[in-house]
Amino acid sequence: MNRKKILILNIISVFLVLSGCQSDSNNTDSDSKKPSVTISWWGGESRNDATIAAVKQFEQLNDVEINIEYGAWSGWETRMAARIYSDSMSDVMQINQNWITMYESSDRQRFYDLGELSDIIDFSQYSEESIERCSYEGEIKAVPVSLTSKLFYFNENTFRKAGIDVPETLDELYAAGETFRDVLGDDYYPLSLGEYDRMILMVYYLESVYGREWITNKKLNYSKDEIIQGLKFISSLEDRHVIPDVKKLSGDGALSLDKNVNWITGKYAGIFEWDSTISKFIDSVDEQQHICLGGYLNGMGSYDGGFSKISLAFAISENTKYPELCARLINFLLNEEEGVKLMGVQRGVPLSSKARQICTDNNLIDEMTMDANTQIMERTKFIVDPYFEYTCLKSENGGVYFDVMSGLSYGDYTVSEAAEKLIKGIDEVLQ
Amino acid sequence: MKPATQIKRKRSVNTGILFLLPWLTGFVVFKLFPFLSSLFYSFTDFNLFQGITKYGLMNYHKIFTDSVTCRSLLTTIRFALTEVPLRLVAALLTACLLTKKLRCIKVFRVIYYIPSILGSSVAVSVLWKAFFRDDGAVNTLLSVFGIHNIAWLSNPAYTLYMICLMKVWQFGSSMVVFMAALKSVDTQLYDAARIDGASKIKCFSSITLPMISPAVFYNLVIQLCLAFQEFNSVYIITHGGPRQSTNLFSLLIYNNAFVSYDIGMASAMSWVIFIFTAFATLLTFKSQKYWVFYNDEENRR
Repeated sequence: MNRKKILILNIISVFLVLSGCQSDSNNTDSDSKKPSVTISWWGGESRNDATIAAVKQFEQLNDVEINIEYGAWSGWETRMAARIYSDSMSDVMQINQNWITMYESSDRQRFYDLGELSDIIDFSQYSEESIERCSYEGEIKAVPVSLTSKLFYFNENTFRKAGIDVPETLDELYAAGETFRDVLGDDYYPLSLGEYDRMILMVYYLESVYGREWITNKKLNYSKDEIIQGLKFISSLEDRHVIPDVKKLSGDGALSLDKNVNWITGKYAGIFEWDSTISKFIDSVDEQQHICLGGYLNGMGSYDGGFSKISLAFAISENTKYPELCARLINFLLNEEEGVKLMGVQRGVPLSSKARQICTDNNLIDEMTMDANTQIMERTKFIVDPYFEYTCLKSENGGVYFDVMSGLSYGDYTVSEAAEKLIKGIDEVLQ
Repeated sequence: MKPATQIKRKRSVNTGILFLLPWLTGFVVFKLFPFLSSLFYSFTDFNLFQGITKYGLMNYHKIFTDSVTCRSLLTTIRFALTEVPLRLVAALLTACLLTKKLRCIKVFRVIYYIPSILGSSVAVSVLWKAFFRDDGAVNTLLSVFGIHNIAWLSNPAYTLYMICLMKVWQFGSSMVVFMAALKSVDTQLYDAARIDGASKIKCFSSITLPMISPAVFYNLVIQLCLAFQEFNSVYIITHGGPRQSTNLFSLLIYNNAFVSYDIGMASAMSWVIFIFTAFATLLTFKSQKYWVFYNDEENRR
């Protein structure tokens, strides 16, 4: 083979190798030269189906090409963070509210200023407060989808088997733990909480007792003694057979609670879950089980604890070639009748007043979803600080919340040591 | 040398370089550049979304003073020192059996190699998790014998060994190397030993082991390097838990890089484990003159 041929072959192979590294998600036009954008989100099966249907509808109506990219939450943020850093994020991206604080900076903008697209996106449908929560340094960085909060959901079937009603107060919850153990056996628990859920419930409890936000202005508002009180509350739930310990949950070997056989079969008869993601938990239980919304758990303190947050938002990449098309897509999904009907309430009851009306008129909001939303609106007064959800705090791999809650459960930490660890870990992030 | 020969040789060298070009490009872009840039970043506090604000040895200082990283390093050493010898013993014993002249021996060879075809895949880890969870196949089987509820996945005392067991189970690649080495041992040596009255154990320890010691050495080096880099199994099965009992160093590097976005620290940790692995390999190489038997005179001990 002569050298020219070798050279040509080599250049082709190098080109092929390097072209394999090129991102395929950004603005790749098809042969037909249709404008093309990519939308990405995470979620369960029902959310995926609804979003795909809505996106396909938009595609047909507008003669454009929309590429979709979706998956489960596990590992999603890590992948997206790498994409955001390398400027290869999807044109339209479902984000968590705190991603704006985490990934946006004055030096380097990642998300498009949606204020510039306000003639396309109907911001008049949203409250000023919700838009403010999705803004960064005066620029609107995302469109909020819904408001969510952690609520209690119980398996009525298991409670019926135990011969008791679903608990409405903390004392009833404690009593349910003992009844479950005595009547149904050691494997049955009225509630199941992973490490992060324990952290949120502890904050819920402390807010109920003291009536203060957990974090404000990058400052933790609770003293060590107060946090010790919260940790003792979490330990008491384990001690009184209300929740399984972390060892038991690890031994179940499930990736998440909706895939845990004890939840599916009703042995774990309650969860503390975001109302925006509850559908995948309801869908996962077997036919004999029936999940209902628990009421606001009274008796923790003098205040209404618990916090709400913007559950999800849609943002546009700063680098997109087609910001107007992206804006039209977002507006279609969140504010226009056809899109809203197809999207349904898979991301919770919409914050957009128009979308909410469309959902109500078309009976898309089932009774439980509506009740959950009403409970949030009426009883949840606190707002989560974006720093509370920082990945390095809540990560299953080495996050402080996981370390503290599992350490407490395994008996590696005393409540005092756990409180110190928690304060230190949070302070490091806040500083 | 004649000019025509010189030109021919030069052309030949250039042709060689051209053939190497695709590999060289891949090596420079995907290996050398990240390798050198990670060395630079290891002396910085580079955060993916906050940039660099400090330069110095702070990452290395933290690695050797922080209890989490020190514990992780010790866990990694414990994992390597448990898994590698067990794997080699399992591979060698199985190779000895599979080199016997038995009926259907080829079928057995395939069966024993299958776990290695699966490699370090996600599927094996998921399968292992299903086997060892509280109500999994292993505990169900043990309950038949009256042994109940062993917390394989949730007791920090057992979990690392459960991971080791999975890696030991995948001994096929080492086994193939041992089989090739066993087949190359001269049978006359065994005949001579038998005439002198040597037992089977004596034959194994005095003939087989010395003759296949280069294969043992090769497997030892390769498996040690792989053990220090183990990631998939702990990431999928335990996430480093329970209570950090399986928090191997590679997992900690991943967490620093992709959870905390602390690229500076992750780079420093990568260099620490690289130097550590290189040192372990060097020690193994240095030790070979005491126990590895080479057939050629030059390297003979």
